[in-house]
Amino acid sequence: MDKVIGIITANYDTPELETLTKDRTIASLPYCGRYRLIDFPLSNMVNSGIETVGLILPYKYRSIIDHIGIGKEWSLDKKNGGLFILPGSAFGVTSSSKRFLLRDFGRNSVYLRRSPSPYVIVTSANIVCNIDYSKLYNAHLESGADITVVQTTARHDNTYLSTVISENGRVKDIEKSVKKGDKAFIDSFIINRELLVDIIEGYKAVSYSDLFECLKGSYGQFDVRTFDYEGYGKSVFTVDAYFDGNMDSLAYEVDKALFDPKRPILTKEQDSAPTKYGRNCNVKNAVIPAGCKIEGHVENSVLFRNVVIEKGATVKNSIIMQGCTVKSGAVVENAIVDRRNIIDCDTIIKGTAEKKIIIPKKETR
Amino acid sequence: MKRNECIAMLLAGGQGSRLLALTKSIAKPAVSFGGKYRIIDFSLSNCANSGINTVGVLTQYRPFLLNSYISSGASWDLNSRDGGVFVLPPYETESGGSWYEGTADAIYRNLEFLDLYDPEYVLILSGDHLYRMDYRMMLENHKTKGADLSVSVMQVPWEDASRFGIITADEEGRIVKFTEKPAEPDSNLASMGIYIFNKDILVKALIEDSTDENSDHDFGKNIIPKLLAEEKNLFTYEFSGFWKDVGTIPAYHETSMELLDDDPAFVLDDPEFPFMSNSNIYPPQYIGPNADVKQSLVSNGCSVKGKVLHSVLSTNSSVEEGAFVKDSVLLPGSKVEEGATVIKAILGENAVVKSGCTFGSEEEGAEIALIGNGEVYGEGGQQ
Repeated sequence: MDKVIGIITANYDTPELETLTKDRTIASLPYCGRYRLIDFPLSNMVNSGIETVGLILPYKYRSIIDHIGIGKEWSLDKKNGGLFILPGSAFGVTSSSKRFLLRDFGRNSVYLRRSPSPYVIVTSANIVCNIDYSKLYNAHLESGADITVVQTTARHDNTYLSTVISENGRVKDIEKSVKKGDKAFIDSFIINRELLVDIIEGYKAVSYSDLFECLKGSYGQFDVRTFDYEGYGKSVFTVDAYFDGNMDSLAYEVDKALFDPKRPILTKEQDSAPTKYGRNCNVKNAVIPAGCKIEGHVENSVLFRNVVIEKGATVKNSIIMQGCTVKSGAVVENAIVDRRNIIDCDTIIKGTAEKKIIIPKKETR
Repeated sequence: MKRNECIAMLLAGGQGSRLLALTKSIAKPAVSFGGKYRIIDFSLSNCANSGINTVGVLTQYRPFLLNSYISSGASWDLNSRDGGVFVLPPYETESGGSWYEGTADAIYRNLEFLDLYDPEYVLILSGDHLYRMDYRMMLENHKTKGADLSVSVMQVPWEDASRFGIITADEEGRIVKFTEKPAEPDSNLASMGIYIFNKDILVKALIEDSTDENSDHDFGKNIIPKLLAEEKNLFTYEFSGFWKDVGTIPAYHETSMELLDDDPAFVLDDPEFPFMSNSNIYPPQYIGPNADVKQSLVSNGCSVKGKVLHSVLSTNSSVEEGAFVKDSVLLPGSKVEEGATVIKAILGENAVVKSGCTFGSEEEGAEIALIGNGEVYGEGGQQ
């Protein structure tokens, strides 16, 4: 895989995630107990043997740099190659149809031009999956295509993803939104590096466009193929999708598939002590990282580091982020409690399955 | 290179043979403890938290796991430009080689290392003790007293005193008598095996000791009595807090169980003075729909589908559906299969109790059941 470099476009932004992305990029959204979304694409790249990864970031990059640092946990703190922080559009990409803004690539064309590797694997940061990119690379080499896009069978209708229209593995078009059962483009592809440089040059005048918007109508001219990924995947564009994705990990099979020890999802290392379960606690169907203290009732929920659930407190169908305390007698149901909140004694926070309550992050900025 | 005022020499060569199967293939400092730690983590974290950035680790018995675990020292923030962690195994010279013959000999044979860093003070530590200590306080005391050697001491119950090096000191803390494991102790101040030496005094004593044919080349037996006889300035530094040498299986089990107390004497999570470790990145704990976990410590990578009471589950261990674990310690990667019962037991790293088997007993006076690293109990393994 020394013939491939990676790019992760971590600057997509959307108001759909409400206060969850007020101070952070989607890429740094806490996920599944101890991760952030960026951990998935980044780990997929290094687990596939890619040793040079460029990360396109918008201006809200504090939390993501705090998390990734110099890429030590991903072994990207290297002399040759390693992690490259690439500045993207200041305010991120907010249009739902734009994932791979040409301008973002153009601004960082030095990263592409200097590389001796002939191929680039590009992925967005908010699709959670555990994919082996070396298989994509092999398929791409074998077919000799210009671009190979990763597609999967859609489990639900989704207006945020695109449908791949193909014939015998050859892409005819990529259209907005998918219906259940369609082949969805999961915002990952491999492209020949020189072609990407040429496209950036050639479409300079319309650099505000998405790469695949530019290719529209040119699928006869470029050889674009499909690659099937049918493992677990979850796209995170909305609060509901974010919530459901976290809850998916409560299913043992999803947990085992997503966190395959042969291709581990890596994340920032922490020095939390093991979690302490109290004498009277009652925990069922939960994902809980180290560093928590649990005396109360936790069911169908995902907790993050350093969460305290006091005696007599109840947490159901909820996500409780790092550093929160749910005090005695409090009840939290169908809610997402962002970092460092203290839910006072006997407080009742009840959302519904259709409408979750979000308690925004309490942190001095 | 910036000169360090104080560097540490960590003695990590002991086999810890009384830990039986747990130390069959690894050295005692590498034994797992407290769910996610290895015993050496506590001393290394103490060094890092005390601002000591140069540590020589003297290894000898089964060093591979220890070497790979310590690695660059980055896990303890000890990979500094002016120092770092250095694993120092015995080595061959032009006149041949041999094992380290004693704690003092281990340091003597690494005098080159001491000279390279040339600190003013040398802190000598054991890599197999559990405690949290800010060595800066001890160094401060050492300087105030104008000591040549400081020995960290703590009061132990009188009935245990004959197991330790026992010290008699005057009101100022000046050591007047040191007896290694006295049959009839006249003091209950025990040496914790933690010493601060002025480097020059240490080097001179080690060189002289090396040619003494009657010496066991041991700090407690030889070096301290020698300096005492030479009327050097030896002082105590009194420590009060949790400190333990878990030398036996019952002690290991008991100390692990004490972590589960509501107010444990040994606090693992102190954000001001954190214990650090070199842990692989594992997913959070998976607690299944039928699981029941109470009064336990559970680490990352664990999956619990059965019932766990009053136990320590180390990194990546699992308790499958219908299994029952009580008063036990599951070391990293160990597994209790479906319907199995594990009581008052220690499962070594990657050990397995096969489905449906019962391992250990609740009966009063029953010994701690133990299977070693990688062993299987039940079908196909021992019964």
